[in-house]
Amino acid sequence: MTKAQVLVVGAGLAGVGAAVELARAGQPVLVADRAPRAGGAIHRQPLPGRAAISSHAARWDRLIAEAQALPIDWAFETKFAGLDHTGTALLSGATNRLMRPAALVLALGAREAVRPRTGWTLPNVTTAGALQIELKTQGLAPQGRVLLAGNGPLLIAVAAQMTRLGNPPVAIVESAAPFAHPLHSLALPLSYLREAAGYMATLIRARVPILTRAEVVAIRAEGTALSVRVETPKGPRVFTVDRVGLHDGIRKNDGGVTACAAVPVLALGDCAEVLGARAALASGRAGGIALARALTNGTPRETVPSTTLVRERAAQQRLARIYAHDAMARLADLPGGTVICRCEGGTLDDLRALGPTPRVRELRLLGRFGMGPCQGRSCGEWVARASADDPGLPPPDTPLGRARWPLAPIAIADLIAATSDTGAAPLPSEGT
Amino acid sequence: MSGPVIYWRDRILAFTPGESVAHALTRAGIAAFGPGPVGVPRAVFCGIGQCQMCLVQIDGRTVEACLTLCRDGLRVGPEQEINHD
Ligand code: FES
Repeated sequence: MTKAQVLVVGAGLAGVGAAVELARAGQPVLVADRAPRAGGAIHRQPLPGRAAISSHAARWDRLIAEAQALPIDWAFETKFAGLDHTGTALLSGATNRLMRPAALVLALGAREAVRPRTGWTLPNVTTAGALQIELKTQGLAPQGRVLLAGNGPLLIAVAAQMTRLGNPPVAIVESAAPFAHPLHSLALPLSYLREAAGYMATLIRARVPILTRAEVVAIRAEGTALSVRVETPKGPRVFTVDRVGLHDGIRKNDGGVTACAAVPVLALGDCAEVLGARAALASGRAGGIALARALTNGTPRETVPSTTLVRERAAQQRLARIYAHDAMARLADLPGGTVICRCEGGTLDDLRALGPTPRVRELRLLGRFGMGPCQGRSCGEWVARASADDPGLPPPDTPLGRARWPLAPIAIADLIAATSDTGAAPLPSEGT
Repeated sequence: MSGPVIYWRDRILAFTPGESVAHALTRAGIAAFGPGPVGVPRAVFCGIGQCQMCLVQIDGRTVEACLTLCRDGLRVGPEQEINHD
């Protein structure tokens, strides 16, 4: 029997970093990703023949060259649908396969948080990340009048990238006042400052307005355009635009997989802790090395503490302070009809109907929060914050309970057609 | 139209090889992908396969427009066919 593969889910910096170290140590590796190419979110690759946008392209080119020189198997356009208690993993999509991996490495990257606002479910209102993915794959700026709103350094990055590609956003609406204490920023690592200074120079030259301590309070469809109402410390403003990109920070994305007694599971990069690109690569490599050693020697996994992670953690904490704001309280002011759960259409009124401090069971079974295909990954934070006394406090890790298999919706036909190398029948036979 | 195309209802849309269905629709000015089952309209939101808001019908299957790549002759329609009677 051939040696079982390590399954790495996610072909970004952490996943490819881990795969490289595993393969170098002689472990067979399969890397699966939903996207058609490796790159993840940071190094999303352009369509063939289009210009690459991502900064630090050299870092990615080096890593992917390393990966290509090693015996690594790839499964693109493929979803990881879960790991059951026996240690059987299901892949679905272009690769349809039930497999029993030697270990499971989750390198799913971060998840974008978007706070509900009036009109946030309208077409042409997307995450700022979705605009950035479009820009990186097309090598072109998203067209039309674009407003970017929310909180965090990503807004400025997307705005600068759009500007360099010839379509600056109409404005940036930022909840915090990140430029109010320039001295705080000076304590950031030089690499952060240089990147931010480059973006800011582009935005200032193009005269892109940055409204701070400002909030998008309502978006309305007006013909084919969107009318966006913004509150600023100097009074209200209305923007008429074609697209809105919302972004309220990034969160780790553990994908809902819990520890499994049958196979080692480890989360690396931003899906374990949001520390950014440099840390993701370091975490991927260190995790890969530790896992390979443990698998080869049959010993428990020991990860060497990394100075990169320590440094990036301090930088992220500083960024969080620079971008701190008290706009979470606005959740309480939203009209009752505002959709909180996009999958099931659950509104703030539906949530309030469950009474004060509802339990997970009530939220799920009565409110149907977390019961849709995203399993509460998107709405969990808002459900928790909106029903907490202080919406500004960080919500619990899994406010709507653990995710269940399958983690992503899959077609029954794919499940039936999946090739199985688990030694078991392709379909579970209980209950027949 | 030379080059490869996909079909969206009665429209024919050109695409660049490797492009997602969502991007081809977006470039053609199509942002609304039809009604959803619970009143939230189908449209791109996360762009990376997490939110399930961009579901469309292709070959009788419900798939994410943002994850599905265009292929020549692909017929794409709303997740739920709108009833006009
Ligand atoms: S836009 Fe979120 S899954 Fe496609």
